[in-house]
Amino acid sequence: MTVLPILKSAALAAVLLTSTAVFASAKDVSISVWSGGSGPNDNYRVDAIEIAADILEREAAIRGEQLNIIVQKTPYSGWEDFKQALTLAAEAKKAPNIVATGHEDIGPWAQAGLIVPAEDYIDLDAWPISDIYPNLMEISSFNGTVYGIPQDAESRPLFFWKPYMKAIGYTDADIEALPAKVEKGEYTLKNVLEDAKKMQDKGLVQAGYGFYPRTNNGPDYWQFYTSFGGVMEEEGKLVFDKAAMKRTYQYFSDLVAAGVTKKNHIGMPGDQWWKEVATGKAGIWHGGTWHYARLVNQEGLKDFFDNVQFTLIPAGEGGKANTLTHPLTYLLMAGHDQETTQIAANLVTIASEPRINALHAIKSAHLGISASETKVDLYASNRWASEATERLLPHANAMPNNADFGKYWTIMWKNMEATWTGAKSVDAAVNDAEAELKSTLGGAIVIR
Amino acid sequence: MRTSRTLGIVMIAPAAIMIFLFYLMPAILTGIFAMTNMSTATGISGGVFQVTQGAVNRLGPDMPELASGIAEPRFVIDEEGLAALEALKLKPGYAAELRGQHIGEVFASRREAERVIKALKDRPSTREVKQISDLFNRSVLNTRFETRDALIGNLEKLGFRLKPEEQDKVARETYTGWVWTTDNFKVIANSPDMAKIFLNTAFYVAVTLMLFNVSYALFLAVTTHYMPPATASIFRAVWLLPRITPVVIYVLMWKWLTWDNGFISMFMGQFGVPPKNYLLDNAYNAWFFVILINGFIGASMGMLVFSSAIKAIPQTHFHASEVDGASRWQQIRYIILPQLRWPILFVTCYQTLSLLASFNEILLSTRGGPGRATEVWSLAAYHTALNNYTGNLEYGLGAALALMLVIIGVILSLIYLRIFRYDTLISKPLIED
Repeated sequence: MTVLPILKSAALAAVLLTSTAVFASAKDVSISVWSGGSGPNDNYRVDAIEIAADILEREAAIRGEQLNIIVQKTPYSGWEDFKQALTLAAEAKKAPNIVATGHEDIGPWAQAGLIVPAEDYIDLDAWPISDIYPNLMEISSFNGTVYGIPQDAESRPLFFWKPYMKAIGYTDADIEALPAKVEKGEYTLKNVLEDAKKMQDKGLVQAGYGFYPRTNNGPDYWQFYTSFGGVMEEEGKLVFDKAAMKRTYQYFSDLVAAGVTKKNHIGMPGDQWWKEVATGKAGIWHGGTWHYARLVNQEGLKDFFDNVQFTLIPAGEGGKANTLTHPLTYLLMAGHDQETTQIAANLVTIASEPRINALHAIKSAHLGISASETKVDLYASNRWASEATERLLPHANAMPNNADFGKYWTIMWKNMEATWTGAKSVDAAVNDAEAELKSTLGGAIVIR
Repeated sequence: MRTSRTLGIVMIAPAAIMIFLFYLMPAILTGIFAMTNMSTATGISGGVFQVTQGAVNRLGPDMPELASGIAEPRFVIDEEGLAALEALKLKPGYAAELRGQHIGEVFASRREAERVIKALKDRPSTREVKQISDLFNRSVLNTRFETRDALIGNLEKLGFRLKPEEQDKVARETYTGWVWTTDNFKVIANSPDMAKIFLNTAFYVAVTLMLFNVSYALFLAVTTHYMPPATASIFRAVWLLPRITPVVIYVLMWKWLTWDNGFISMFMGQFGVPPKNYLLDNAYNAWFFVILINGFIGASMGMLVFSSAIKAIPQTHFHASEVDGASRWQQIRYIILPQLRWPILFVTCYQTLSLLASFNEILLSTRGGPGRATEVWSLAAYHTALNNYTGNLEYGLGAALALMLVIIGVILSLIYLRIFRYDTLISKPLIED
């Protein structure tokens, strides 16, 4: 989108024309694709590109061109190392062609020129992109430009271990009605704390296992801020709602004080957490739709629906029940010639077709990106995908695409962690967060 | 004489170049980075000029007319654009069809303009659509301009003739790259978290240094000195194990020891104590293990230095003192310790600096937790500049943190040299005058 002087454009066009002429003969293209946060169930984030390459090669062959695409796949299981590797590789002009990452990276990476707009290479009005949910396309945009193509969607429910709910007095009908009660705001975060306490008092779960949250930083914690009435962004400006953040910090501090959540919960080994959740050591916990895949495939929880109920994240004081969707998007990295980037863009387009995307959605228990995907048999016949889509997705928020959001998030989290572990009082943490936000973000954030 | 001097320079040149490249340059670059606001969002290699909604908002109060004039995208099919399109030498039908059917049409977004271009009979490719729509762009919103002149030139075309100081302001507010700033140091000075991390670092360095790297190393050196040589060698070899074990494996063993399902939990389980994560249970536990992990590695170095220094003391001193009826304690107090002043200075100084800069054991064991309780300065610099969950790598702030570490290191070294009276240690012995 850079404005080029006419001469430059003309030269570029000439180069393009000649390169297309060369393109007609045999051509080997190497396309590298990286993905972040990809565990054993998420292999289709990169494998879909390989499937797409096969199709694109066949299409080229039918047109009489010989195209040979070599796809190099690099999935990373975590986020920290992935983002470090990718950012530094991109700065060193060694970026992969395609990357599947959280949509919130679009802001800073687009500003820094690490990625090129997807809309420069992909016709957004053509199928299958035109079919993708508009809110997901919105989340993949920055400064009015579509930078990414949504790779998946999800949402993040609160889970209840049904046998313990029954043991503290809920009937089957009560448990069945719970999602609706949460949605209406009749069952709140206060009730979560009380029920977790009851489970512990009855000896159903050990101390600290009543409410068993995520063990590390994640988008999940913004849901609680939303539950307590917080807003992340308004009209392009980040928002720090002091009172809502205070209630959020206070809630986790209260959980620890009541003994239903462990003070040293953050940073515990992840594998242990999964095993405990899958075997009914925890009473109430939160996670994402993809947890279904891990619990059932890796952790051996075969009778999921008999044991687990799931709802939106309940409302707290001043807010409403909600969930958060954190779609990953395919981004096209800068630093490659236009021909190669065009091929990468074609691969992304093909990989976004319903049947191929459904492979990822169902295997990893994420949600689909388009309405037509929900009609693919694999998706339509999957109980989890259809129930979760219906119950959660209409209430899903997303984190804002804002170049400064990462700073906000880091500050929000470290103070949350400090109150959780008792290193700071709630008041001190909120004030520290406010002070640091003011000094680092200044006018870019509204504090109220 | 001249040739030998030249030869000397030639001989030292490779080493000098190495020192410059690998010792001085990193420090200089750290200093340079520290004076910028470089981050993931600004990039390292420089930025462009882009009128974003945010930039429009910032320009609003001072230049309301300009801000409102550039706040909307606008695409116009006009003769100027058509002439440029013809010059591009794409298919001739494009210009003709646009001129014939769409001349004078105005679009409020790029998407709408591109829908018209896409609907041309010879359907252009997606990239050609972009090329063509760029030619009809009669706004600056969200366009990335490589140079300041390009932005100002385009603003002029839109009818905004700006005074030089206005141009400066527009350039400043629309620039996406990094700028020179001293804000990093203000952020560090005003952040309560940094104060906490500073205290963490002071505590960690002081305690590890005093308890292990010097005292415990000294204890090991002195006790092995009085052992039979073979036994002493075995003891020293055992104490070297933490240092020669790869640090990842060494720390993993500590984790096995302290995890919920680890050895301590299993052992305590025999007495009915519920399992817990002893490493991360609370800040005290975390510090206890962090200092042990580092101390056991650090003690071996001091032990080696002190042992060899004790070996270098002439045996006659010990023989003479025994004739005079000195006890072991008196030998240590009056013979060994006074002659170890220089090695103790060296170990203290060296280990202070290495403890200040090292964070790998903490990163591998507690990652600075629980709740940042064991986050030390160098780890904070690493997390800030290179590795955090949100991927917001703040190179400038991280470099400022690292720079302060370098400065603190230099100051501490100077203080040590004074305390241990370095000048008397290197002055010529009076007896040989």
